[in-house]
Amino acid sequence: MLQETKVVTELAGTEGLRRLEVYEAHGGYGALRKALTGMKPQEVIDEVKRSGLRGKGGAGFPAGLKWSFVPRDHPGPKYLAANADEGEPGTFKDRWIVEENPHLLIEGSIIASYAAGIDHAYVYTRGEFFTARRVLLGAIKEAYARGYLGENILGSGYALEMTVHSGAGSYECGEETALLTSLEGGRGHPKLKPPFPATHGAWGRPTVINNVETLATVPSIINRGADWYRSFGTEKSPGVKMVSISGHVEKPGNYEIPLGTPVRMILDDLGGGVWKGRELKAFAPGGSSTPLLLPGNLDTPYDYESIAEAGSMLGSGGIIVFDETTDMVRVAEILTRFYAWESCGKCTPCREGTRWMLQIYERILNGGGRMEDLDLLLDICEGIDSKSFCPFGDAALGIVRSTIQHFRAEYENYIRKHKVYKRKFMPVRHH
Amino acid sequence: MRVRVELHPALKQWIEERFARYPSERSLVVPALLEAQKYYSYVSPEVEIGLAELLGMPPQEVHSVASFYSMLHQHPVGRHIIQVCHNVSCYLRGAEDVIAHLEEVLGIKVGETTEDGRFTLVTVECLAACGQAPVMMVDEKLVEQVTPERAEAALAEFD
Ligand SMILES: Cc1cc2nc3c(=O)[nH]c(=O)nc-3n(C[C@H](O)[C@H](O)[C@H](O)COP(=O)(O)O)c2cc1C
Repeated sequence: MLQETKVVTELAGTEGLRRLEVYEAHGGYGALRKALTGMKPQEVIDEVKRSGLRGKGGAGFPAGLKWSFVPRDHPGPKYLAANADEGEPGTFKDRWIVEENPHLLIEGSIIASYAAGIDHAYVYTRGEFFTARRVLLGAIKEAYARGYLGENILGSGYALEMTVHSGAGSYECGEETALLTSLEGGRGHPKLKPPFPATHGAWGRPTVINNVETLATVPSIINRGADWYRSFGTEKSPGVKMVSISGHVEKPGNYEIPLGTPVRMILDDLGGGVWKGRELKAFAPGGSSTPLLLPGNLDTPYDYESIAEAGSMLGSGGIIVFDETTDMVRVAEILTRFYAWESCGKCTPCREGTRWMLQIYERILNGGGRMEDLDLLLDICEGIDSKSFCPFGDAALGIVRSTIQHFRAEYENYIRKHKVYKRKFMPVRHH
Repeated sequence: MRVRVELHPALKQWIEERFARYPSERSLVVPALLEAQKYYSYVSPEVEIGLAELLGMPPQEVHSVASFYSMLHQHPVGRHIIQVCHNVSCYLRGAEDVIAHLEEVLGIKVGETTEDGRFTLVTVECLAACGQAPVMMVDEKLVEQVTPERAEAALAEFD
């Protein structure tokens, strides 16, 4: 029976954990003390590099390496943007971290900032996260009062400001360059890379963007060392990962596992298996943007390389489970609507392509689909693929392509029989 | 002719207190628009003009930003906003029935406001609470594991 390996979630459930003194009583801010009073910034970067910590926001980029790209003796301010925008359907770990253990995110962010020579850390929170924002603001206030933020932190001479920022409803603002545009006061449009944020980020200044879970992992690596972190996971995907299990399982929720754990064990031992004694039809391994995998993939080890080899992506770690009764065409329509409505509109292939796909899904679900629509959908996918400033457009394609590939018969059943999806409500875009 | 609009003093203070946190004043536009909705039922042209002056940007640009974000209302809305998640993980666990039931008991469709101005019902994208699906929010309050009955009951405290 698989047990969780708790690193970020270690203190979860501790009474009063949001309060500074409770966090401290459990060793909180010990890693900050260790880093700021005993390690040079470069030593922190080296330790995190050696740990193999990879970004947990979706792309899996090595965190230490990212920090090392920030020019060290660049004059003027540098920034950290902690990405707490968590909007990927099926992912709910970052909001949970902030609400459960806000000081862990703060401590990790200060250590990362110290390592990369950052002057001001912004936590970009999703507009809808009212509670998380309130909790975080309270914790940051405590951290200032205790001297963990502000001037001369712990007598080290290092100074850092921290500010909570808020979005106002936009999935695209989780994409790192769109996040920066939004932070600067604009519509959430991405920027072309290069130049990369590490040298030209927020307000044109060197900027590090990291996911909440990535930052929340840093204190334990500093406390226990790179070798300890590497003792979990695989050679190429070291360490642990939080997984958010949702959909048709008995025990949906957040769990933390060593990378490389077979998917079957994650879903059965932690998720309690498919609900109501039903069979599995498919699962998205890393959030709504990752192509579906099938029951035949259940023994795949859950790490970046193995999931990629199976034809999908580990993404943000949101595993969405579909039981045998699921209408996969309707699922594809729901997600296509999501991408069409949330496309920021900057790049034509993504803006027009996702809307066109949505129109096709609507006619299929209304009983007016045509057989050619399946090839047309795949054609449009081709027209979107890798042709925009940011990966949003590509993210919209996984569900379309993988449902047509694996569940073509369900599409054909709609089209041939002029089957109509009985809508219980009409979705409308509200503004 | 230039129109001048005085913003609510508490809103003005909220914004001005935060200027020092950013290298440019316009960086506050998104949080300020969200905060403004606590004082005004929606982002009206007057609110945009008032914010534009305070943040040192053209009103047209404030409007451009405001019209991008789904939480910023371009039209008057009810006293309370009900946002029900219609995304995949909530759909898989019965969100459609919740939405249909709320439409029925409120006597409005998604996107509409009740005649008494009490509630606006909208659907929302994934709220990052799929472990407790289906979920909805009423104003700032997240309601988890909703059934049609629980959704209806959750409205009682909002008048
Ligand atoms: C459309 C889109 C949405 C994204 N949303 C998020 C998000 O909500 N949170 C997040 O951490 N990363 C998100 N990302 C990934 C970020 O661009 C970026 O890779 C990440 O924040 C970097 O942090 P990490 O290296 O610590 O993972 C998104 C990417 C795309 C293309």
